[in-house]
Amino acid sequence: MNMPDAKKILVRVRVNGVAREAEVEPRTLLVEFLREHLNLTGTHIGCDTTYCGACTVILNGRTVKSCTLFAPMADGGEITTVEGLAKEGKLHPVQEAFAECHGLQCGYCTPGLLLSTMQLLKKYPKPTEAQIRKGIAGNTCRCTGYQNVFKSIRMAAAEMEKR
Amino acid sequence: MAAKAIIKKKGKRGPVKGSSTNGAGNTASKWVGQPIRRKEENRLVSGKGIFVDDEKMPGMLHIRFVRSSYAHAKITRVDVSKAEKSPGVVCTLTGSEIKRQVQPFIEIGPGGAQKIADYPMAVDKVVFQGEPVAAVVAETRLAAEDAAELIEVDYEPLPPVVTAEDALKDESLLHPAMGTNRNWHGVFEYGDVEKTLKQAAHVVHIGRLHFHRFSSTPLECNVILANWDPRSGDIEYHCNNTFPSFASQFLAPALGVRIDQIHMKSYDIGGGFGIKITSYPYMAVCALASRKAGGRAVKWVETRIEHMQASAHGNERTFLDTRVALDKNGIILAIDSKHVDDCGAFPRYEPLGCVIWAQVLPATYRVKNIRIDMHQVVTNKCPVGPNRGYSRMQHLWFIERVIDICGQTLGIPADEMRVRNYIRKNEMPYKTPNGCVYDSGDYASMLAMAKTLVGWDDWKKKQTAARKEGRWIGLGIGSTLDSGTNNFGQARIINPDAPFSGQSKVGIVKLDIYGEVVVSMGSVPQGQGHETSASQVVADALNITPDLVNVRPGFDTAHNAYTGHTGTYASQFAVTGLTAIHGAAMKLRKELSRLAAWKLQAKEKDLEFGVGAQGPEVRVKGTQKAINYWALANLVNVNNAGMPEELWDITLNCRHVFHANFQIPDVKRKYGNLTLTYAAQVHAAVVEVDRETFQPKILAYACVDDCGKAVNPRIVEGQVHGAAAHGIGAALLENCAYDSDGNLLAATFSDYTPITAVNIPDLLCGHMETLSPFTLNGAKGMGEGGAAPIHTICAALQDALYPSGVIIDDSHNTGDSLFRAMQKAESGGYTGMVRVEHRRASRRRF
Amino acid sequence: MYAAPFSYFRAASLQEAVKLLQELGEDARVIAGGQSLIPLMKMRMARPAALIDINFIPGLGDIHNSKGELRFGALVRHADLEHSAAGVTVPILHDCAAGIADVQVRNQGTIGGSLAEADPSGDWGTALLALDTSVVCLGPEGERTVPLEEFIKDAYTTALTHEEIVTEVRVKAPPKGSGGAHLAFKRSAPVYPTASASVQLTLADHNTCKDARIVLGCVGLTAIRAKEAEAGLRGKPLDEKNIRTAVDAARAAADPQSDMRGSADYKRVLVGALVKRAIGIAARRARGESVDAGHEYAGR
Ligand SMILES: Cc1cc2nc3c(=O)[nH]c(=O)nc-3n(C[C@H](O)[C@H](O)[C@H](O)COP(=O)(O)OP(=O)(O)OC[C@H]3O[C@@H](n4cnc5c(N)ncnc54)[C@H](O)[C@@H]3O)c2cc1C
Ligand code: FES
Ligand code: FES
Repeated sequence: MNMPDAKKILVRVRVNGVAREAEVEPRTLLVEFLREHLNLTGTHIGCDTTYCGACTVILNGRTVKSCTLFAPMADGGEITTVEGLAKEGKLHPVQEAFAECHGLQCGYCTPGLLLSTMQLLKKYPKPTEAQIRKGIAGNTCRCTGYQNVFKSIRMAAAEMEKR
Repeated sequence: MAAKAIIKKKGKRGPVKGSSTNGAGNTASKWVGQPIRRKEENRLVSGKGIFVDDEKMPGMLHIRFVRSSYAHAKITRVDVSKAEKSPGVVCTLTGSEIKRQVQPFIEIGPGGAQKIADYPMAVDKVVFQGEPVAAVVAETRLAAEDAAELIEVDYEPLPPVVTAEDALKDESLLHPAMGTNRNWHGVFEYGDVEKTLKQAAHVVHIGRLHFHRFSSTPLECNVILANWDPRSGDIEYHCNNTFPSFASQFLAPALGVRIDQIHMKSYDIGGGFGIKITSYPYMAVCALASRKAGGRAVKWVETRIEHMQASAHGNERTFLDTRVALDKNGIILAIDSKHVDDCGAFPRYEPLGCVIWAQVLPATYRVKNIRIDMHQVVTNKCPVGPNRGYSRMQHLWFIERVIDICGQTLGIPADEMRVRNYIRKNEMPYKTPNGCVYDSGDYASMLAMAKTLVGWDDWKKKQTAARKEGRWIGLGIGSTLDSGTNNFGQARIINPDAPFSGQSKVGIVKLDIYGEVVVSMGSVPQGQGHETSASQVVADALNITPDLVNVRPGFDTAHNAYTGHTGTYASQFAVTGLTAIHGAAMKLRKELSRLAAWKLQAKEKDLEFGVGAQGPEVRVKGTQKAINYWALANLVNVNNAGMPEELWDITLNCRHVFHANFQIPDVKRKYGNLTLTYAAQVHAAVVEVDRETFQPKILAYACVDDCGKAVNPRIVEGQVHGAAAHGIGAALLENCAYDSDGNLLAATFSDYTPITAVNIPDLLCGHMETLSPFTLNGAKGMGEGGAAPIHTICAALQDALYPSGVIIDDSHNTGDSLFRAMQKAESGGYTGMVRVEHRRASRRRF
Repeated sequence: MYAAPFSYFRAASLQEAVKLLQELGEDARVIAGGQSLIPLMKMRMARPAALIDINFIPGLGDIHNSKGELRFGALVRHADLEHSAAGVTVPILHDCAAGIADVQVRNQGTIGGSLAEADPSGDWGTALLALDTSVVCLGPEGERTVPLEEFIKDAYTTALTHEEIVTEVRVKAPPKGSGGAHLAFKRSAPVYPTASASVQLTLADHNTCKDARIVLGCVGLTAIRAKEAEAGLRGKPLDEKNIRTAVDAARAAADPQSDMRGSADYKRVLVGALVKRAIGIAARRARGESVDAGHEYAGR
């Protein structure tokens, strides 16, 4: 098997407002880049086929599944991960709502769901039931049966509206 | 707070041993029962959870498996030479190499099953698709994956055994040494089934029913980080196995180490649902890999495909030749049936599933005469594991199908059929024909509540109108039991020589040197909020607040909070784990009280516990005299000169072991109490089958649960939701189907389609509490849920399509299968599937 | 799961992308959203030796409306189209874009990549066939415009030569009195449909069909134009009988295969039902009604 020349390349991003960089093989997935190279382990992996959304992060203002992006494709980008939501030790209203509504159990899906919720509320500050369901359709949760996730999102929307 | 160790008839002691309130006064149920916010939430919403894959060890290597693409084949050649030369590779492992280094795993089954040689990797033949054949250990994950591609394996295919019925033919054997594919058989017979069948007013014969294979598959796959230290010979595991003491009992003899040399640790776990219990073969390989790599740590992160193909699935079961005797009022008098359980390629937790179902032998019904001819076979499919609802849900589904099919055949409505047959509230505690004791429950009231929630009567009217328009709308009920706190003595029914029985759990509560309350749990939480519930119990015991209780997250053998039963399984933490922790807290309370009495020069009975200006304290009632926990801990730990000798036994580090008062069952009669508590759920649903797409759509869904005292109602509700989603997913989407060659057709999430937010209906939930007389606080274990939605949705589909001649005979239904069912009905394919014999009069009831 | 090693090139312009394709040869591939290519590479079912990233090419994600023609740059993401004005004026485009996978995949996947992938279950290949669509391809010899019918040749096979890339997708805006719908049944969002149907109807008057396009997705090696079904409606009133004839013809045109998503027989039934519903919605839209349409998912 002829191995192509896979020399490492430098990837620079801003993660949660901080400039970060690492030299990686081009095939490094964005999720691996975050977890293994930048040590941001809040972003998770739950599948191999772009189904579960445990790896969801925000790249340049839009959610993406970071398991389905090679790190160099995010070069120069602005990334938000779950670690970047709380400000000065205070939970973001979306985090607060999930915690308050028991919108999680094992918490493995939660970082991805929080970021999908951020995206949803940016687009639809007062989401309808259908918008909520479609907004998190790419995030699998195996624990909560989604009921409390819906509740959390409604609460987050209400709280953010107050601000 | 009085522990309700209820005295049974004849003055015998109740099943709970251990904790009871002592002299030192004021414990009250202030926190238990409150829906407080979980302690776990904040770290998990902040991305600060610590899951195994988040852990690193210095010099850590990565392992990657090469797996069989065949379901059944001889291995004729394994060549690792190219892989070993691949960049970054440290070593490889093959099955035959491993065989020389380990003992095969213990087999639980008797007789021929003892001859199964279960090694952690395939040795000279593969028996399921995805079975590991070889492995590569490399410096990086990338290098390991690249090298794995270079391992060459040649196979000589053997005929695959894919269905239970084929397995019974014994034409192709998975484990030739066993001499058969049937690894267990036993008849569970109670009452007089034959006579009842002869004399009953109606006998309903039901053809083949099938409960499909699925997995409640957690979102986090198996992850193991192992380090076999060549200096000490100890093995350190960071892993998400959820039944560590079971795993270590399998691992120690296989690897030739003492159990004490196996250190296991978990922090946060991304769900388990029973599927992670049987990860020990991989734990063995990772340890061996670490040893071969010269004592460097080795990490295995299972991919989703590996997980779907080769971790564990739920048990598949086929129900054959069912006969049901009923009286003229539709009261079920006897059930006779043959059940064939399919445990996949290796009976790894099995054949325990061949008895676990018997915890719920008559389900929620009064039927007394039952004969189940139980078989279990091995097939060329992924081994099963104790998936949420383990073994009981299959049986409960079967009984619910029986109820509905009999009701339909005799023209008795589904709700009426249940009310007539349910065990009554005033019959509780109820002894089942096989000697189990249902602690409490009021199924009829639960049904009434579920009907109200779902709008049953209204929907009935709408259904009549809709039927006239040609629409297929059905209403269904599913009654189910979630039995918890199992008696391992039931293993003796499987194998009289099985050296285990009973149930135990450990809790440790201590005051640390500066007076902090620290709790170590003997459980392995995966999202069930054990930290929170534990802190509620301890807060009540010490009359402090839950935020003052520091519960160590996760499981760690170093905490010494385990027995051989330790793990999280079988819906029991609320009973076993919390009773152990309560017992430990009460021991600590007693020690604190003795210590304070000495220091404050007061009588213990004059003391009270509470929180003062300087934190938690013990004070003399009605005075200013008090001593806080800091001072009490100080007295024992760092400032103990002058302490009277009679207080030297005080450690402020209190360990308590929960025991349930179980007996070893009567093995011959297969009789005895197999489990302690019976949480129940009754669900009701309205489902429409689209006339054009045949897609089943849930129009309304209600769940009512009763788990006795809910320690934290918020957590309980979450468990109800989660179990409902697993059930609905299993009923409509999730199916570990295999083709006739033994290829798993749903090896990715994209094919398995775990239920998502666009699929789940709104769940209308109701809650009842009938307290268990056998447990602390009256709590019952819960969380598995008993797969109520599978029963309910099948019932509703049956109701919708019965007029068209369809019998719902499978637990998994999709638009496609319903389309085919309708075609089958049109061509008379269900003729003979259900047959009724009517007799003129049944002389008497049994 | 990790892709096999490859070298990575970033194209700053279309011309550079084409040049790189020429230089790197057959083993090089363009990567756009990566939502088809990366999953395949992770499974090592695709193993290009080099990737040419076109995501950094400026302007390639623009949408233009020029004289009755909608022009979508190859990098227009499904989500861009979902939330675009084009989706409002041509609802079938919105149905299609908004129904692909989930938010995250739509944020990343592109219209150009989707057509270039030519997945038989891909929604764009189906929906755009209900409109007059052409694909602009750029190669070393320059640009050529290929009608969509000719662009997709077979499952996973297009008219692109190895050295060409898709630069733009052009869609003729349907005339007044025309309405369309794209419907699919999906088990859940992040999977391809089990079956899909696109219908574009142009009405002569309130109920007479002047022209019809009926396209079936996921039930053949490529999207299938059900021409007999179209003929069953063309010039005829949209009554129950004619619709039934069209649906039957559509079913007959389907050529599905059995897989985890469903058996062949069932897919045929399903696609018929979707055609019927899509006709209903398309007709209402043609009459100027605003109709919210969306895919159907298992269970609800
Ligand atoms: C979980 C999941 C669910 C999905 N569900 C659906 C669905 O329901 N419906 C649907 O239609 N699609 C679905 N998709 C596919 C998705 O729409 C993809 O985005 C799309 O098919 C490919 O677009 P891309 O930009 O991601 O292409 P890439 O993956 O980047 O590329 C795909 C192929 O096209 C080539 N290519 C890309 N751009 C160009 C170009 N400009 N010129 C020449 N060649 C090019 C690449 O070389 C590659 O061979 C799904 C994908 C995922 C991961
Ligand atoms: S890990 Fe990215 S979608 Fe599952
Ligand atoms: S909380 Fe466990 S997967 Fe969502």
